[in-house]
Amino acid sequence: MEHTAADIRFSDVSVTYPNGYTGLKTIDLNIPAGEMVGIVGLSGAGKSTLIRTINGLVPITSGSITVGAHQLNGRGGAQLRGKDLRELRSNVGMVFQSFNLAKRTTVLNNVLMGRLYHTSAWRILLGAWKNDDVELAMSALERVEIVPKAYEKASSLSGGQQQRVAIARTLAQRPQVILADEPVASLDPPTSHVVMRDLQRINADLGITVMVNLHFLDLARRYSDRLIGLRSGEVVFDGAGADADESVFENIYGRSLTAEDVLDGQAVL
Amino acid sequence: MSTSLSSPTQHRHERPTKPKLGAKYAAATAVLLIITIWAGIGVQVDLPAIAANWRNATTNIVQLLQPDYGFFPKTIPALLETLQMAVIATVISSALSLPLAFLASRATNPRPKLLAAVRFLMNMIRSVPDILFASILVAVVGVGALSGIMALVLFNISIIVKLVSESLDGEDAGAQEAALAAGASWPKANRAAMLPQILPSFASQVLYTFELNIRASTVIGLVGAGGLGILIDNVRSFFRYHELSLIILEILVLVLVLEALSAWLRKKLV
Ligand SMILES: Nc1ncnc2c1ncn2[C@@H]1O[C@H](COP(=O)(O)OP(=O)(O)OP(=O)(O)O)[C@@H](O)[C@H]1O
Ligand SMILES: [Mg+2]
Repeated sequence: MEHTAADIRFSDVSVTYPNGYTGLKTIDLNIPAGEMVGIVGLSGAGKSTLIRTINGLVPITSGSITVGAHQLNGRGGAQLRGKDLRELRSNVGMVFQSFNLAKRTTVLNNVLMGRLYHTSAWRILLGAWKNDDVELAMSALERVEIVPKAYEKASSLSGGQQQRVAIARTLAQRPQVILADEPVASLDPPTSHVVMRDLQRINADLGITVMVNLHFLDLARRYSDRLIGLRSGEVVFDGAGADADESVFENIYGRSLTAEDVLDGQAVL
Repeated sequence: MSTSLSSPTQHRHERPTKPKLGAKYAAATAVLLIITIWAGIGVQVDLPAIAANWRNATTNIVQLLQPDYGFFPKTIPALLETLQMAVIATVISSALSLPLAFLASRATNPRPKLLAAVRFLMNMIRSVPDILFASILVAVVGVGALSGIMALVLFNISIIVKLVSESLDGEDAGAQEAALAAGASWPKANRAAMLPQILPSFASQVLYTFELNIRASTVIGLVGAGGLGILIDNVRSFFRYHELSLIILEILVLVLVLEALSAWLRKKLV
């Protein structure tokens, strides 16, 4: 699998939701291709909002975001829509907290959803996937070690396995970027580490940029090169995980660290 | 612990007052009562007349309890026609209903105007009783199975589209969201992510409408739209109640057998 990489640049990005709530305030970020970025912050800090602006799931109100050759603008600017928006999205994989698999169909069919953009409508209608795409899906499953389950129903897999299928689905896109929104929040600690290691390996081996929202600070520090701390829609920390000490976390969280903020259940890093 | 639970002044939050529904319930009951009385007066429920007719009825019922089994061979063509009408109508209407159901669900159709138009059309079709469709189609297309099939198809589409679009509405849209986030267009995302999820419920609706069609095809036959209904109309107008009795028995057996079969199949599906 060959993947090309793309830089992501936020310029003065704000998001105001239709109800008037400001989800993001004047964000400026530059994420070079191939980084592994962890995003932390309290519930409601804007982690999901930040991640979802990158593939246009949340439209930005002002400023602009560039993802490789694509640009997303605020209101008033040129809007990315239709085929152009879908092309951007085809380059950006997304992993969700609740896996978002079609549970009644096979694991393989779920992974093939990563090829929908590149597959003609009639092939999809008939379920007549190209052999190359099936092979691509299989090798994506191989990377997360779920190949033997390819023809099993997605619902028959454990949570950790389902999330790894979801990661394989993004790999089948041959993406430049993978966005993961609390990918381990529904998993137990050992499985969380397995899934985080998968993401880390994908980042290291394939050079795909990985941006991952995490609830647990120790996970974020351990698995990312760069840590971004959000508080009330603003970036309050941006640096190496190792530099993020307790005082930094107090700044991000507005309180001192508790056992609930770390996966391993002790209020230390 | 126990003191804070029992002391009424310690509540951190004001307790909400229970909403009073008494007046609403009383009003609803009164309205229902008035409507019932109005309906009763309107159709002139005539108890003495019912008693008088009852004496006629007993002789007819005695005849009805003695089916003329010798009539059976003559009913076979009509019986088969009823079955064939039901099968063809079910097949055609399922094929037409599936895309319409996706257009009629908020979860799968992102265009509000198209959604409203499809739903309006479906509501219109559903508000017309099948027997009325049959009467109109018999007038337009002519007496026979074709008009019956067309009436059944219209009737079926309205049911399948409603039930399947409702199950789409209730379906978890997570996989669809993932497909859209991967760059799929809505139709592609719906086909790949939503269709597999509702297939069992769709199949179950199709079987259910097949059951309905067996019953409905006998009724719409009464207005000339083919099948056993035409036969019923014939024997009834000549007061041949022994023969009518056999036909009713046949319908009963057919419906029971097919219902059992489809119930068994549907259980396997879900
Ligand atoms: N569609 C929406 N409409 C209005 N407000 C929204 C919407 N989505 C999110 N918000 C608000 O924007 C803020 C940021 O939400 P976001 O989901 O980005 O937070 P988060 O950091 O991901 O939190 P969590 O850890 O709970 O997932 C929250 O206050 C939330 O209530
Ligand atoms: Mg979130």
